[in-house]
Amino acid sequence: MTTEREPLLVVENLKQHFPINRNYTVRAVNGVSFEVYPGETYGLVGESGSGKTTIGRSIIRLYNPTAGRITFGGVDISGKLDAKTEKMLRTQMQMIFQDPMACLNPRKKVVDIIAQGLDVHDMCQNRVERNEKVAAMLEKVGLAPEHAARYPHQFSGGQRQRVGIARALIMNPRLIIADECISALDVSIQAQVVNLMKDLQEETGCAYLFIAHDLSMVKYISDRIGVLHLGYLVETGTTEEIFSNPIHPYTQSLLSAIPHPNPIVEKQRVSQAYDYATSGIDYSKGEKRHIDGQHYVLATEEELARWTR
Amino acid sequence: MEQRERILQIRDLDISFATAGGSVHAIRGVNLDLFRGETVALVGESGSGKSVTMKAAMGILASNGKINKGSILYTYTDERGEKKTVDLVKMPKKEIRRQINGKHIAMVFQDPMTSLDPTMQIGKQIMEGMKHHYNTPKAEAWSKAVRLLELVGITDAEKRMKQYPHQLSGGMRQRVVIAIALACDPDLLICDEPTTALDVTIQAKILELILNIQKRMGLSVIYITHDLGVVAKVADYVNVMYAGRIVEKGTIDEIFYDPRHPYTWGLLSAMPDLDTDDERLYAIPGSPPNLMHERPGDAFAPRNVFAMNIDDRLDPPLFQVSPTHYAATWLLHEKAPKVEMPPELKARIERAKKEAQK
Repeated sequence: MTTEREPLLVVENLKQHFPINRNYTVRAVNGVSFEVYPGETYGLVGESGSGKTTIGRSIIRLYNPTAGRITFGGVDISGKLDAKTEKMLRTQMQMIFQDPMACLNPRKKVVDIIAQGLDVHDMCQNRVERNEKVAAMLEKVGLAPEHAARYPHQFSGGQRQRVGIARALIMNPRLIIADECISALDVSIQAQVVNLMKDLQEETGCAYLFIAHDLSMVKYISDRIGVLHLGYLVETGTTEEIFSNPIHPYTQSLLSAIPHPNPIVEKQRVSQAYDYATSGIDYSKGEKRHIDGQHYVLATEEELARWTR
Repeated sequence: MEQRERILQIRDLDISFATAGGSVHAIRGVNLDLFRGETVALVGESGSGKSVTMKAAMGILASNGKINKGSILYTYTDERGEKKTVDLVKMPKKEIRRQINGKHIAMVFQDPMTSLDPTMQIGKQIMEGMKHHYNTPKAEAWSKAVRLLELVGITDAEKRMKQYPHQLSGGMRQRVVIAIALACDPDLLICDEPTTALDVTIQAKILELILNIQKRMGLSVIYITHDLGVVAKVADYVNVMYAGRIVEKGTIDEIFYDPRHPYTWGLLSAMPDLDTDDERLYAIPGSPPNLMHERPGDAFAPRNVFAMNIDDRLDPPLFQVSPTHYAATWLLHEKAPKVEMPPELKARIERAKKEAQK
């Protein structure tokens, strides 16, 4: 089981606050803890503003975490980074972004975009090797090596996202943070990209931190899931545990809101409402409580008793 | 079957856009019918022409768009209680603005932040249409606006009237947009991806709200969406669009439980449902066509694994499957080889049927 393995990424009590002015601070992430194991996919779901993207960006150090500890491959990456750690972090952790048009430099050729990581870290002896690596990677993500000489605008949305994936994969990372990487794509293209990501994971054994709001896709791709709400991780567990036995009322309402492509069932179903303000739940009072297996819920003792009744 | 009153009839609509790179043939012969009190969904990928079709009906096509042929007949009851049928294609834009838009056909757009005026109190925005179309006195319009806000589920309606859009959350804003659309008691509501910009939990609430209002006011609704889950929840009839054509149309049960077009198969199976196991998703290969370069034959053929020779030469007509179910694919021709839908999809439909019987 996964519990016996050494986790690849450990996030402990991560806090990310953004001071707006003297009196007001946005508390985007409030003490989130979870682990990602090598070769698995951890899905982070939640509504917009729940802090899922912020967590991804704090982990890869696009932000400096306010508090908490992040350990990646046994090395602490939450404090000040020395040169060696930074290099390790920048090569072994990669990110795929949401909007495939906005994240590719329109003035660079695809070959230079994909090889940028190699260039920065001097990972190639010469040009030939570099171009060979890019060509192999393009083939891996389902593009032709001839595409290397093109510019991003010459590709369709799905192809651009493949370029984004190639750019992340060429560094041979151990963890890829995929931030809503399929949300901007058409339905039929989404399936292609998800299939590709699954295949590549099997081949390279990298782990994914899959950030999305589309629960059905998250369920399909993830081994374990964390549900975020208002910067708190309200529930986490394996996909099976979350979907068959949701404990937290927010998770329940989230699950009930997923539309099913089944008209007869769907027409009769009414989604559950959940309103934090009127629910009487105070996330800051809750503690991470163990349910079974790897299933944890953020709750006070009394709340847990009420929900599991 | 009781007499159904047809309110919108689109026939052979053909639209192209003049762009710097040449003419783009966006709509290629669309037929659509809508009856009173019913809900029709237009499903398709981006660029398939679903929004353009409805924009043509609203007379708000972009200035480089041109309707080459076809008609959009709209039937409504005017102020004097007379039944009128007009062709919205031939009607001057000004006239549409005065007679139809807002008054009889209202539209809810995708992004509530961009469709509301950020400098105007929401009460004013709701009252604007009533004043413009009916010259409603201010006090009356005000009280109606408050009622509408309550109808769409906004608490403290009186207080909200004086607020600005930025003071509301995304779901609230979309509710306000719906209230604005309902302000002049339209008969037809066009919802262009009404929930795409919203979170799942709020999405469900908004859809339930629209359904509720529709039942109460006897509205006809057209949904434009790419989300089949949304369609399953709201629609009575489904039209699947691809590259400017309707490739399959039918009642909701026919489309979801007995799809015939390979593209519909792809759409249905590309979206994992909650029972999908670790099997691979069945994905449609390739990407949506560029309508700038028209090719002979079926536009879907390059992505269709079941494509035959004829698909490269002739565009398939709509074959009838049942009185309400049509699909444009040569696979339904009597001489075509028998092709079954992908096994993954078949298994899923079986599961769905079983679930429905429970």
